[in-house]
Amino acid sequence: MTYGLKMGRKFPKITVDLEKCTVPFLCKRCLQACPMGCFHVTRVMAKEERLKEMDPRIDGNYILFATRRDKCTGCNICIDVCPVDAITIEMPKQERTRPKVQGEQWGQ
Amino acid sequence: MCWMCDEFGDPEHGNGLWYLNPKNYARNMYKLRAPGEGFKGAEAGLETGARSGPSQLDLLNAIENNDRAEYDRITGIMTARGQGSQIVPLDDADRVLELCSPIGLIACICRKGIRAIDERNEHEYTCMGMGVGMLKWERWPERYKGGVAFVNIDEAKEWNHEMDRRGFVHILMLFGAPFIGGFCQCDYPDCGAIRNAVDFGLGSLKGHYVAMVDYDKCNGCGICAQRCQWGALKFEVTTEKANVDIFKCYGCGLCATGCPRGAIKMEPRSNVPAVAEVWT
Repeated sequence: MTYGLKMGRKFPKITVDLEKCTVPFLCKRCLQACPMGCFHVTRVMAKEERLKEMDPRIDGNYILFATRRDKCTGCNICIDVCPVDAITIEMPKQERTRPKVQGEQWGQ
Repeated sequence: MCWMCDEFGDPEHGNGLWYLNPKNYARNMYKLRAPGEGFKGAEAGLETGARSGPSQLDLLNAIENNDRAEYDRITGIMTARGQGSQIVPLDDADRVLELCSPIGLIACICRKGIRAIDERNEHEYTCMGMGVGMLKWERWPERYKGGVAFVNIDEAKEWNHEMDRRGFVHILMLFGAPFIGGFCQCDYPDCGAIRNAVDFGLGSLKGHYVAMVDYDKCNGCGICAQRCQWGALKFEVTTEKANVDIFKCYGCGLCATGCPRGAIKMEPRSNVPAVAEVWT
């Protein structure tokens, strides 16, 4: 298992301000710029009529959210490319742990 | 030969490989119903096709909470649902296409969701569906606005070869094992099947082959290493040859088809003892 999925690791909190976000299907910037593929655009189920596919280009039919937060590295490329500043990322504090150095147990 | 081959393979067909058993493409396999039963699944309403139970997001929550028990419980349920997909190399893919009908090219929903790619015609489609379920795309055009392009066997093979050339992994999609109804052209990270396999080890059955490099033929060009989506194959500087980590190999064969010298062979997994029973 990769480091990204280490048990107990706190993932970054990625918030997409849906008021600011335009039409994700037409904009696409964060979806295509994220090297890790963290974002997902999906249809608003509540709006969907049975046996009718909604047009993703119409505002409000599809929404954007960050599904794979475990993949987020905090590189901020998505924030840089978003034209309406809809994305905020809260990185958990990265702890510096100090492993035991060989010989320490003998007071060297 | 895996447990799927034991249960669903036919020694008379395709060397007993379960996905080369024509029965698994047969019309009556699609949403089996007992006589007198009503419609199930998508015919009863598309929302009923959705899986209930835990999702990937629940799995991520379990990791964040350091809850190993919950993590194991969720992966147990996801594994018990049965494998959803089977990786096949190009040669076997050709033989698969001879067994199914109808064959329709369609838009890929994974790419749509993860990279906002909207495929609308046969020049853009990167997904293939097989079997009677594909008639839904014709029957309900309002539901499948991306459309469908039905193709014959030769056209389907040609399309698949083109996908292979571009570097997509061929993964058979199951809709209620062992019924095979789709041929995904996978790519990391925009494809659900390959992401689940690489990140969580879930969902996909590894290919029935592993890649082996012939060092006499390999000229160290590195094309194969570029094509591997699983992190199994790299160019080893010291030997100046392609190096395969057989434990990581999923047997997709992209390295073999990409090699300009034919230096890579797809060896049946059962011939390599340490990975002979490693299917996920």
